[in-house]
Amino acid sequence: MSSAGSDLGLHRVPTAVEGLDRVLLGGLLRGGVYIVEGAPGAGKTVLANQICFNHVARHGCAVFVTLLAESHARMLQHLQPMEFYNESAIPDGLYYISGFTTLESEGLKGVIDLLRREIKAHHASLLVLDGFATTEESAGSKREFKKFVHEIQTHAAVSDCTVLVLTNGSAGEISPEYTMVDGVIEINDTQFAPRTARTLRVRKFRGSGFLPGDHALRISAKGIEIFPRIEAAFATPSVRDVFHLQRQSTGVEGVDALLHGGLMARTTNGLYGPTGAGKTTFGLQFVSRSSAAEPGVFFGFFESPDRLCARASTLGIDLAGMQARGEVEIIWCPQGEHILDELGHKMIDAVRRRGARRLFIDGYGGLVESAVHPERITRFVSVLGNEIRALGATTVVSIESRNIIGASMELPSQGLSSLLEGLIVMRYTEVDGEVRRLLSITKIRDSSFDPFLHEFKIAERGIEVTGRFSGVEAVLSGSARVPKAVPAGEGPQESGKRE
Amino acid sequence: MRTILVVDDEFGLVDVLVAFLEAEGYRVVTGANGRRGLERLTEQKPDLVISDFMMPLMDGAQMATQMRADPEHRDIPIIMMSAAPESAVRKRFEGYQAFLRKPFPMPALLDQVREILGEQPAASRPK
Repeated sequence: MSSAGSDLGLHRVPTAVEGLDRVLLGGLLRGGVYIVEGAPGAGKTVLANQICFNHVARHGCAVFVTLLAESHARMLQHLQPMEFYNESAIPDGLYYISGFTTLESEGLKGVIDLLRREIKAHHASLLVLDGFATTEESAGSKREFKKFVHEIQTHAAVSDCTVLVLTNGSAGEISPEYTMVDGVIEINDTQFAPRTARTLRVRKFRGSGFLPGDHALRISAKGIEIFPRIEAAFATPSVRDVFHLQRQSTGVEGVDALLHGGLMARTTNGLYGPTGAGKTTFGLQFVSRSSAAEPGVFFGFFESPDRLCARASTLGIDLAGMQARGEVEIIWCPQGEHILDELGHKMIDAVRRRGARRLFIDGYGGLVESAVHPERITRFVSVLGNEIRALGATTVVSIESRNIIGASMELPSQGLSSLLEGLIVMRYTEVDGEVRRLLSITKIRDSSFDPFLHEFKIAERGIEVTGRFSGVEAVLSGSARVPKAVPAGEGPQESGKRE
Repeated sequence: MRTILVVDDEFGLVDVLVAFLEAEGYRVVTGANGRRGLERLTEQKPDLVISDFMMPLMDGAQMATQMRADPEHRDIPIIMMSAAPESAVRKRFEGYQAFLRKPFPMPALLDQVREILGEQPAASRPK
């Protein structure tokens, strides 16, 4: 039931900052007052300005009030190179004023009057107050300051104007005004050895849920970009995961035979092996089975699209042509200091955008290197895998083994094997001075498979499985040997005994 | 001694402008918004107004428009300054003598002041 002129619904004010509205489940709430806090240089002013410019672009009006902050001219100079900056928005859509002289001469009451007047004069539906700490310092008491915050809230609500209050602060500090405002958004800038990681966290958001925890943040020519933490953003897959008891070809005939038809569709599988064993070649053959009806994505860290296409061409795969026709998308993220969640979103976006049915990730090590918190990698892979599976794609991720040759087989992250629905292992073994390649299926959930070791070669047209590897023992040691023949009538030899 | 009225809500910039102009021998009075600027006009009768464009309560264009409508103040020259582009200012008011886009170097402002007040440029003044 509603009375005339009132609407009990909470209306969203999208920030239009990439990723932030996802964290806020749609945006800020109209008429709410939100603290944005962070150390100097964290990105508060850029974020607030970006929200203002975006607001004006969506036909809103905004007022930006500074207290003891950088001059408007300097601030705008710094913002000019950013993509969101639009000079034509100033001053009709976005109006900058200073409130410090008013604060000095008329106190907090004067600032309230100023805010009320300017909201009305400019028909502002968004107001930014930069330099909140200055008002706190001017308050005669904590009570007076709380009254000030309360008055801002009242004016915001009655004028339907959303207010962002920028303040310096750091994680862990809880100021009394936090209990009064409708939300608190924190921007942090943390050092991890030589790397710096910027994050955004919503500490409070009245009237709505939000994605919890830290979300990666980048400041670039685009302005602020937020990459919602994959584990939070896709805690429940975005679409229903429908299980299909179907097979999907690996692109390698011999491996399909070992799998009794192929990988199970819509599963996440690992391809584990040492450097040079043929993992990337396998990946190229896997995506070569993509088509317009069933597109594929090759996501790699190590080889550029041109190099991959050239390599594929030597295998008789027209990857460049498939790319041009939209059957395959190649995403190359040269190994460096990536944001792990950005990588995850790139993969998910590509799979969703293309309706991809195949995804090859080359390789797991690139994801691990990107993580400033390596301990979250298995949760990340698990949630990422769930989402990609629900979107209908079958994933193969290459995992490099530390040992090039030998008995040890240790996956790089604890718990990884349980996340994988399939695991194909490539190995080297040495026989009579010759290094030979072996392949075996270690695991395929919900399916039978050939459990034996098979030899394979990388031939003209890619991986060829040549047959079961027999007639030797101690293969998994990395140094196989031909067992000594047992003469007829004699018992088994003592182990280790040589003639 | 010539009197200059500086009208700007950014106190830091006002302090700097006052210091530079007083060092050049001008008497400087200030206002933090357009309404206060109009009050100071009547009180102080300046020879020149240097005004910001975006200000609370009454902006520079509103103040300048009222100045031009007042016989007592209509001939006082105005230097308009703003972080906004000149095109935005001109949409609201065109009757200024000079425009400076913030941030600007102080010598540029001083040159404009001298030119408008008909004074010799600093370089050509007898030492």
